[in-house]
Amino acid sequence: MENYLSTEFRRATPLFLEEARAKGRYRTAQRVFETLTPEQVVDEVKNSGLRGRGGAWFPTGIKWSFMPKEPLKGPSYLVINADEGEPGTFKDRQIMEKDPHLLLEGILIGSFAIRAETAFLYIRGEYKLAHDTLAQAIAELEAAGILGDAAFGTKRKMRIVLHRGAGAYICGEETALLNSLEGRRGEPRPKPPFPAVWGAFGRPTSVNNVETLANVPAILEKGAAWYKSAGTAQAPGHLLFGVSGAVERPGCFELPLGTTARELVERWAGGVKGGRRMKAFIPGGASTGFLPPDRLDVPMDPESLRKEGTMLGTGGIIVIPEGVEIVDAARVFSRFFRHETCGQCSPCREGSAWSDQVVGRFQRGEGRTEDFVLLDAIMRGSKQRTICVFPEAFAGPLGSAVKHFKDDLMAVSARRAAADAGSGAAAHGTASHG
Amino acid sequence: MSAAGQAGAGDRPATAPAAAPPDDLMSALRALPSRYPQARGALLPILTRLQEWRGHLTPADMRLAGELVGVAAADVFSVVTFYTMYRQRPVGRFPLGVCRNIACWVNGSEQLVATVRETLGIGPGETTPDGLFSLEEVECLGSCGSAPCLEIDSCYFEQQSPVSVKALLARLKAGAGDAAATLAAAHADAAAELRRARDGRP
Repeated sequence: MENYLSTEFRRATPLFLEEARAKGRYRTAQRVFETLTPEQVVDEVKNSGLRGRGGAWFPTGIKWSFMPKEPLKGPSYLVINADEGEPGTFKDRQIMEKDPHLLLEGILIGSFAIRAETAFLYIRGEYKLAHDTLAQAIAELEAAGILGDAAFGTKRKMRIVLHRGAGAYICGEETALLNSLEGRRGEPRPKPPFPAVWGAFGRPTSVNNVETLANVPAILEKGAAWYKSAGTAQAPGHLLFGVSGAVERPGCFELPLGTTARELVERWAGGVKGGRRMKAFIPGGASTGFLPPDRLDVPMDPESLRKEGTMLGTGGIIVIPEGVEIVDAARVFSRFFRHETCGQCSPCREGSAWSDQVVGRFQRGEGRTEDFVLLDAIMRGSKQRTICVFPEAFAGPLGSAVKHFKDDLMAVSARRAAADAGSGAAAHGTASHG
Repeated sequence: MSAAGQAGAGDRPATAPAAAPPDDLMSALRALPSRYPQARGALLPILTRLQEWRGHLTPADMRLAGELVGVAAADVFSVVTFYTMYRQRPVGRFPLGVCRNIACWVNGSEQLVATVRETLGIGPGETTPDGLFSLEEVECLGSCGSAPCLEIDSCYFEQQSPVSVKALLARLKAGAGDAAATLAAAHADAAAELRRARDGRP
């Protein structure tokens, strides 16, 4: 299957409307608006097996099928989650900065499928360049009459509201994002009600990730059967994999789901930087945790990684080289999650802080074997006891460090304790919490 | 942290604490609530615009934002304190943010912080006495594929090194008279340099 997500990623400037239309963009959206029904679009996406690229991998067509059908009792909304913030993830940014109309065409088709006349595009505050690029692209669509009171000259109204966040990892959680969109603190909401019933501004809402929507035009253009010819049976299509950390050529690579981590790291990203050995890799963003290098042949798809006890997440591989201690990398994460918990649920607020303290103990050479029992108690005591899955996220790196690198954690702690006893110095450079 | 009440980048007013938003900004702010089904949806955009203008948010800004969307100032305050990008104190004309998360850290973000410390004499949370620079460590910016990353008012400077950071700081200092233009030019050059270095690789 030819690439359909990253065709414009090597450009110096964004692909704007005139050139985009010359390349055939919006032909599919126009055909959808003029000739298809929402049910037909939802069915095609259902049949394609497209699953959400934000990390949860929920089938997109099924999510859309939960939305109200005629007669509508009021507006429904499409909300686009462009709050990309999972460490190791930078794919949505490439789409928005280089190929804004790929996303916008997906938004038009998605809005049509769920009968929404307004789409809110929630983009993280730090993505100013992507925001400005999208603002320009949306203005182009308004001037061209593709957005407005008669989208593509049909009777449908369509508008896209671009909305900037203000810095909060938790707003990537869809109900936190909805609260943030409404001008509130970005605290996740108890579910049910799910967004399809009570979403943005109290109306039925589908929240979809940027890359997910960028898959939609190709599916509608070429069909579900074409889409299923790449990827795995349960997770078809291409994914924008990230490879970052200590590799020769970090970057974003469009490849079929099920490509092995080894192929991504060694072939596409040029292997570990400086010819060093690999200490560990993280398969799909911070919350998926550490895997040892002997797991590199795992296919990168949701089911295969689940069998490894982790998740595909966002597909952002991070390589940790020999010479970097797992405990120091784990502290980067524990400090991050401690900083990013929204704080409304006690088990998460306290658990993320306690676990950061315990990891800090190991880092300073004060780790004790009973700390493993304590970490396990913190993770068990917070998972599935909160409004959202944030404790599952902070338990990812924590639990995997204990599972795969327990001896390493103890050995490094003992070595640093011995070094301290020898020198009297207490300073260990990296990632100590201020 | 320095308490210097210096102006922020670009067209921010010299007398920041006392100034009220100019008329054109006010009319832009008044237009925002109608974009949302409920006026409150405009709260974050209003706060963002006010901060872009002043450099930080004052209690008066929060009261104004609350009035524009119809919520109490205390409610606005609870929102402001939730989000890391909102500042309640003045920062330097060039607020430096160095990502400390995993990909940047593995690629030497601590050396960038050390370079700023050596060059400017400030650590995280501090502002230079001349009010030009302040430093923060920030969480993942989505720049993992071109790490390490330093941002200034959400302008990304990617794949940085101690050498490039030193040159950047010197350039910003020399052009501080027109901070906004200097930052924009430095950002454009950094983006071009990154494209050359990566041969267009995303």
